[in-house]
Amino acid sequence: MRSGGGGRPWGLLAAALLMVPFALPSAMVVAVGMLPTAVAALADRSTTRNAALCVGGLNLAGTMPYLLAMWFGEHTVAAAMRLLGDVFVLMVMYGSAGMGWLLYLSTPPVMDTVLQALTQQKILALRGRQNRLVEEWGEPVRELPTADDDG
Amino acid sequence: MRLRDRFNVYPDSPLPDLATPSAEAFLAEDRRDLARPLFALVCRPERPVRVQTMRSLRGLQAVGLLQLVEWATAHWPPVGANAIVVVYERPLGGRVMPTLSAEIRRVDEYEIGKRIIAPLATALKELAGRGIAHRAIRPTNMFWNDREQGSIVLGDCVTASPAHDQPVLVEPVESGMSWPSGRGSGSLGDDMYALGASLVALTLGRAPLAGQDDEAVLTAKAVQGSYLALVGEQKLPLSLIEVLRGLLCDDPEQRWDVEKLDLWINGRRLSPLQTRVERRAQRGFAFAGQEYRSAPELAMAFARNWREAAAPLTEGRVELWVRRALEDKDRANAIAEIVNGTMSASTDAKTASEVVVARACMVLDPQAPIRYKGLAALPQGMGAALAALMAEKKDVGVWAECIMRDIPAFWIASRTHYDPEYTMLLNNFRDMRDHLRNAGFGGGIERCLYELNEALPCRSPLVAHALVLEVRDLLPALDEAAKNAANNTVPMDRHIAAFIAARFRQDVSRPLKLLNADDPVRRIEGILALLALVQWRMGPATLHSLARWVGNLSKPIIDSYHNRERRRRLERGLPRAIRSGNLVEIFHLLDDAEERRADSEGFAIARQEYQLAEQEILRLQGDDAEREERANRLGQQAAAMTSVGIGFLAATALTVMRLL
Repeated sequence: MRSGGGGRPWGLLAAALLMVPFALPSAMVVAVGMLPTAVAALADRSTTRNAALCVGGLNLAGTMPYLLAMWFGEHTVAAAMRLLGDVFVLMVMYGSAGMGWLLYLSTPPVMDTVLQALTQQKILALRGRQNRLVEEWGEPVRELPTADDDG
Repeated sequence: MRLRDRFNVYPDSPLPDLATPSAEAFLAEDRRDLARPLFALVCRPERPVRVQTMRSLRGLQAVGLLQLVEWATAHWPPVGANAIVVVYERPLGGRVMPTLSAEIRRVDEYEIGKRIIAPLATALKELAGRGIAHRAIRPTNMFWNDREQGSIVLGDCVTASPAHDQPVLVEPVESGMSWPSGRGSGSLGDDMYALGASLVALTLGRAPLAGQDDEAVLTAKAVQGSYLALVGEQKLPLSLIEVLRGLLCDDPEQRWDVEKLDLWINGRRLSPLQTRVERRAQRGFAFAGQEYRSAPELAMAFARNWREAAAPLTEGRVELWVRRALEDKDRANAIAEIVNGTMSASTDAKTASEVVVARACMVLDPQAPIRYKGLAALPQGMGAALAALMAEKKDVGVWAECIMRDIPAFWIASRTHYDPEYTMLLNNFRDMRDHLRNAGFGGGIERCLYELNEALPCRSPLVAHALVLEVRDLLPALDEAAKNAANNTVPMDRHIAAFIAARFRQDVSRPLKLLNADDPVRRIEGILALLALVQWRMGPATLHSLARWVGNLSKPIIDSYHNRERRRRLERGLPRAIRSGNLVEIFHLLDDAEERRADSEGFAIARQEYQLAEQEILRLQGDDAEREERANRLGQQAAAMTSVGIGFLAATALTVMRLL
C-alpha cells in the first residue's frame, strides 16, 4: 500500500487547503500546532506509520483545547495569530507532541523486557519438564537417540 | 552307605578279587535278604559309563550273565562326591582267569561246549535280543557262579565305556587298534570275536601271544589274520578249530553269529572259514628306519610316525610300491587318486598332506579305525574318545581338527559294505562340525561331548561332585552348589549350557542367544531364562539357594529398565520372588515382554520429548534479534494506539466539556 501510505499526507494537506477559505483561523492553528506531526509523518518511512500516529495523537490532544477555544469563542485570524504568538500555547502543543515522541521511543524497550521475562518463564517450564523426564527415566533420557535404539 | 533304601554298601570292605579295571568292588548286602551274596562296583566319576545298558540289564536274570541287581547314583564317602554304584549278585566260584598272564587248568575239550560255550551263547543271545553288545568278554571277566565251578557267567559290562577295559588280544583288529575309549558301542560280532579269543585262552590254559606287546599282537592279527595269530602252531582239539575259525574270522560279515554258534553246539558241523592272509611284498618299503612288507604294517607305521608319513605318500613312492611290490593296482590307484585329488584341491599343503596320510592309511588297511595325528578311534567311539581326552585334561584340538576336516566321512566312504548306521553317523558328524563352528555357550567342543556321550555326567566344576546324568538332576545340584557359591560367580558355564542344549528336549535357542550376547545384562538374562525354563519343565518347584544366587545377580537386569518407578517396583518384588524359590517367578518378574516393550517405547518417547524441549529452549535462548524486533514492533504499535487513544479521548472530552 505504498500509494495509500504515501498519499494520505497529501490528502490531509488537500483537505486542510480546502478548509482555508471557510476556516482559515483553525487552519492556521492546525498548520502551526500540528507541525511536529507533519515532520513525524515525513520522517517515519515505515509502512505502519507508528511514529506519526504516536506523535499525532498526543499532538492533537495538545492542539485541541485551543481549537475548541476558537470554535466556541473568537474564530478569527487575529485570535489565531494571538494564540500562535503565545509561547505557552506553542509549548503545550509542541510539548504534547514531544510526549508522543517520548512514548514512541520508550515503549519498545519496556516491551522487550516483558517479552524477555515471558521467554524466561517458558524456558523454566521446559527445563522443569526435562527434569521430570530425567527423574522418571534417568540420565540416559538426555542422550540423543541412536540407530541401535531404532533397531 | 545306603543305596535306594534297600542295599547297604560297605566302603571299608573292599573286594579286590571282584574289582574291574574301571571300578572298585565292595561288599554289599540286601536289607530284605541278608543271606543274598552281593557285591557293589563303584564307578570312577570321571569315566563315562553305560547308563542305558544299566537300565536295560537291571534285574535281568539270564544264564551266563552276572545278575545286575540295582544301580544308582549315590554319595560315596571315600571320594566325598557322588558316584554310580552298581550292585551285582556275587559269583561264588571266583574269577575264571585271575590275570591274562596267569596259567589256569585247561578246560577239557569235552566240557568246554557244555560248561562254557553253551551258557555264554545263551547270554549273548539274551543280550542280542535286547540290542546290547556286552563288549567286556575276556577270560579275566568271566566268573564261576557256584562254588563247584559248574556254571560260568560273564562279568560286569557297564562300569566303563564299551570295550574300554578289553585287552587288545580279545578285540577285533579295527577295535584293537583304537584307543580303549574310542572303540565305540560295538556289535554282537565284536562279542563273538572276544568269545573266540577267550575260548582260545581257556582251551590253552593261558593267554596266547603271551609276552607280546599290543603293537605286536595287532601286527600279527593284521598280517596273518586273527585265527593264525592267536592259535598259530598250538595244538587245539579238532572239534574246536571250526568254532574258533568262525568266531575269529576277521571279516565281520562272515564271522559266526549266535545262530551259527547254536547250530555248532547242537552238533551241526559247518564248513570251516578260510583265513584271509594279507599279501606280503617281496621287496619291503623302507620307512622310519624299518622295512615293511605288508600294507597294514606300513599303515600302522605311518600312524605311529605321522610327521614323516606325508613325504613318501605325496612323492608317489607308496603308490609305486603298492603297484609294483604288492601288485595291488586297485589300492595303488586309490592312493594316487587321494594324493592328487587332495593336494590339488587344497591351498594349505600341510593340511592337505595330513588328510592324505589319514586317507591313505584307510586304503592301506581298511580294517583299521580312523587314525589321525595320534588319534585312533572308530566313528562310533569318537564321542567316548573325546570324553576320555577331556577327563584326562588332554588337548582336544586334534579331535576337533579330525571332525572339521571330515576324516570320519572319508573313513565311512572307504567302507566296502553299507551299514545303515553310517548314514546316522554322517549326520552326527555334520552336526558336530556345526557345533564346533559355533564356539559360544551351548556349542563348541562341550556340545560335541554331550551330544556324542548320552550318559556322560555334566562335567561342570559347579556340579561335578553331584554326578548329574540327566537335566532333571541339574538344578538340585546347582541349588546345592549355590550354598557355597562365591559372590562373583554365576550358575552357568560352557558345560552346563552344552549339557542342557544336548539333553533337554525343548527349544533353548532363545536363552542360548541371550547367553552369547555381548551385553553382560543380556547374558544374565540368558542364565535366568535357561535355568527357569529347565525348572518350569523339569522341576523341582522350589530352589531357594539357587533362586537367591540368581536373584543376587539380577540387579543389572533391573537397572536395564529405564523407568525408575518400574525399577523400584521390580526391586520391591524381587525379594518376594527369591523367597518363593521359583526361578520362573523371578524370570517373569524381570523379563516380562510387555513390561520391557512398554519401557522401551516409553523411553523412546521420553527421549524424543526431552530433545524437543531442548530444541525449543535453544531456540528461545538463541533468538535475541527476533525478540528485539518483535518487542520494537509491538512497542511501537502499543505506543501508537495509546497516543491515538489519548488524542481521541482528549478531543472528545474537551468538546463535550465545551458543549455542556
